[in-house]
Amino acid sequence: MTRLPPWAALAAVTALLALACLASLVLGARETDLAGVWAVLRGGGEEHLRQVVAAREPRTVLGAAVGAALAASGVLIQGVTRNPLGEPGLLGVTSGASAAVVTATAFLGFSGGAATVWVALPGAALAVVVVHLLGRPAGTHSVVPLILAGAVVSAVLYAYIQAMILTRPEVFDSYRHWAVGSLAGASYGTLVAVAPALVLGVVLAAIAAPGLNTLALGDDVATSLGTPVALLRATSLLAATLLAAAATAAVGPIAFVGLAVPHLVRALVGGDHRWQLPVSLVLGAALLLGSDVLARVIARPQELMVGVVTAFLGAPFLLWAVRRGRVTT
Amino acid sequence: MRARTLPLALLLTSAILAGGLATLAWGELGVRLPDLAEAVRGEAGTKTVFVLERLRGPRLLVGIGAGLAFGLAGALFQTVTRNPLGSPDVIGLGAGAGAGVALATLFAPGLVPAPVGAVLGAGVAIGLVHLSTGLGFASPARVIITGIGVSAMATAATQYVVAVALRDSSTQLAGYLVGTLNSRSLGQAVLIGVILLVLAPLLALLAHDLRMMDLGDQLADALGARAVRTRTWAILLSVLLAAAGVAVAGPIAFVALSAPHIARRMVGSPGPHLVLSALVGALIMVLADFAVQHVGPVQDLPVGVITAGFGGVYLGYLLITAWKKADA
Amino acid sequence: MSAASSQSTSLSLEHATVAYGERPVLDGLDFAVPHGRFTAVIGPNGCGKSTMLKTLARTLRPRAGAALLDGRPLGEWRSKAVARRIALLPQDPVVPEGITVRALVARGRHPYHSPWRQRLPGDDEAVDAALAATGVAELAAQSVEGLSGGQRQRVWIAMVLAQDTEFVLLDEPTSFLDVAHQIDVLHLCQDMRAQGRSVLAVLHDLNQASRYADHLVVMHAGSIVATGSPAEVLTRDLVADVFDLDAEIAADPQSGTPMVVPLRRG
Repeated sequence: MTRLPPWAALAAVTALLALACLASLVLGARETDLAGVWAVLRGGGEEHLRQVVAAREPRTVLGAAVGAALAASGVLIQGVTRNPLGEPGLLGVTSGASAAVVTATAFLGFSGGAATVWVALPGAALAVVVVHLLGRPAGTHSVVPLILAGAVVSAVLYAYIQAMILTRPEVFDSYRHWAVGSLAGASYGTLVAVAPALVLGVVLAAIAAPGLNTLALGDDVATSLGTPVALLRATSLLAATLLAAAATAAVGPIAFVGLAVPHLVRALVGGDHRWQLPVSLVLGAALLLGSDVLARVIARPQELMVGVVTAFLGAPFLLWAVRRGRVTT
Repeated sequence: MRARTLPLALLLTSAILAGGLATLAWGELGVRLPDLAEAVRGEAGTKTVFVLERLRGPRLLVGIGAGLAFGLAGALFQTVTRNPLGSPDVIGLGAGAGAGVALATLFAPGLVPAPVGAVLGAGVAIGLVHLSTGLGFASPARVIITGIGVSAMATAATQYVVAVALRDSSTQLAGYLVGTLNSRSLGQAVLIGVILLVLAPLLALLAHDLRMMDLGDQLADALGARAVRTRTWAILLSVLLAAAGVAVAGPIAFVALSAPHIARRMVGSPGPHLVLSALVGALIMVLADFAVQHVGPVQDLPVGVITAGFGGVYLGYLLITAWKKADA
Repeated sequence: MSAASSQSTSLSLEHATVAYGERPVLDGLDFAVPHGRFTAVIGPNGCGKSTMLKTLARTLRPRAGAALLDGRPLGEWRSKAVARRIALLPQDPVVPEGITVRALVARGRHPYHSPWRQRLPGDDEAVDAALAATGVAELAAQSVEGLSGGQRQRVWIAMVLAQDTEFVLLDEPTSFLDVAHQIDVLHLCQDMRAQGRSVLAVLHDLNQASRYADHLVVMHAGSIVATGSPAEVLTRDLVADVFDLDAEIAADPQSGTPMVVPLRRG
């Protein structure tokens, strides 16, 4: 990929997003056409079309928000850990959210739906806190302990989840439908529930972005340039957690967006985090919507889950990147 | 073998035997020593025969065999990748096996037995890793990264199947996916035993050069240990052993990862410690099997849940103590 | 010492081309490791001296030409057989976690072992002799990780000695060491030469090379530009051409060997 001037890149991905939104409204498991959808959007249109579009609208908006959040979260994590394999799932977000959902279903009679967010978000946050407590040995700024702590916490939580779901059938059922991220049945209620976390996350990310440029030079150099390394790290990780937890709580675990989009963004605009952030927000939204469209269309009239599509798109991308030596090992 | 290895090996073997006997003897259906003696003489009563041959015997033997296999697989892998988190599970073998079983359940229910699906899936996953690195297995870092990618794809496919399949087959599938010793057969015990016997001489030969790998490739080559060749063989054997374990017990997590760590800490000196890792793996399985059969709160859970939970906790403890030491 | 310094044994490069990626670092290079001498390879960064050493040690494979041991390409020899003739100490070797000094030195005996014979009668003597020669015998039971840089390097050299080879290749053995330890290492290289071994070391310090080595090989941009004794090789013109340094050549007050003294500015 050739590098574009940042403005051009942002414009290009914005155009891509517009296209993806349109596709998300027009294409889907049910047949619709552009003219009909356009009529609905302008206030008129046929009744059954209006219902279909009414279902697709919140799905489009939520999908864009989730994609943006995951991508930005990935950019932050990769910037903080200086590790090209950084992914929101590393910090325990996914396993924490899942464990919380399972616990609520098992012990509180919780039954899913839009209220999942209120359960998943605290669970994700709690898991991340535990990971941080485990992974911050005093006297070292290395991020390896953090990543390892994330792996350990995730493993234990997954064992717990398995124990729960294999002994309680009703929990099993609700979990297995949540376990792969999906935009089906998306509602504005969900979006409203996660909106505060999303907004706060984006704001913190914007504050942290310039500092991440100096952090990339190494902790010692950054400190000598006047960057408050510890504060910057904490802010970035908090932002990343908020964004990833909100996204996961809203639609379930979605893999690879947080991992792959930062690589694409880096290829487009280079290492300046101040540009990486907005471009990743837009590109992440576009790619997630695109994946969702694919999920709806590829197995008509059935719908796949968007989490499956992102995994099958993202993983080969990663493999290709490794093979071409794009990922420094 | 160095000075401490032999006594430790004997200690572990005794522990395995003790654990195995306890598993057989505990509880109402227990087969006590006199009954066992009768069985050896060929005079066992029907209850003893039932418990030994159908209920507890096969799962104990399969557990020991799979534990040996996983321990060896982990030790081989960690030695040649020089990465303490290296394990065939990480590079997609476990996830691939799960996906193989899941897809077989979805597309050919009843046609393809779970172990076959598991081995096929594992094979495809490893093949993908081999192709995708661009260098085969020569670069450990690339192997691990592509393994993560392949794992993710396999996991997504598996979760998709679990989500959309009918609830009953889904539950059964989910149980298998985490690794279980329920309803094992003597045939499976024989299978893993034969595989271990056949591979043992190869491992003994490989162990010689394997000992030099922790010096880095340059020095290993300079001492005549042929680093790339040794690594390729080690990964191959590691994958074979892990696949065999998965075929008979499902993708049981964390044994391949933690057994070599525990073995290393017991001995205190560097080296692949193949025998000790294998024995530790077997002991973990025996203890986990005892727990799911006889220990109240966790009864009837699949063995894989226990190993994952305790493996995770143990790993966490390892990490914390290691960092405390680094600060001191 | 098993091998006599007869001229039938040799380690050489014949028209070797070695490249990383596209650019060749060495292009058609011919070089024979001098027999029974302590040879230092010097040259500016990127001149190919490490590459040449690694090719002789079979860490790198030539794209064209060959590295020859006794006239036969290294690739045709069995790995252990080469390991009994050539020892390598790479830059920055990896210390296995928790290994003791004695155990690390004993690793040097690996080329003589096989899966069926892991201990040989001569092993203990070889290890003891190596420990004594490098002065680390009292540290034998200690963990290598806890040693100082200088002690650790002596342990590595002990391992190389235990390997008991005719050719000893050392890649920047003095880097990162305190100056006293650097001199220790250079003395050890001289001791190894005194035992009849052919020692080849890549060094970065011109004056150390001149003072302690018997033979210098100067490389520049992938070629050998001068070989000979320090007195023959180190001249004002060479230092200016190869190292881009204006200097006078004085006599070392202790040994009389050439010493490079940079000229004052202005």
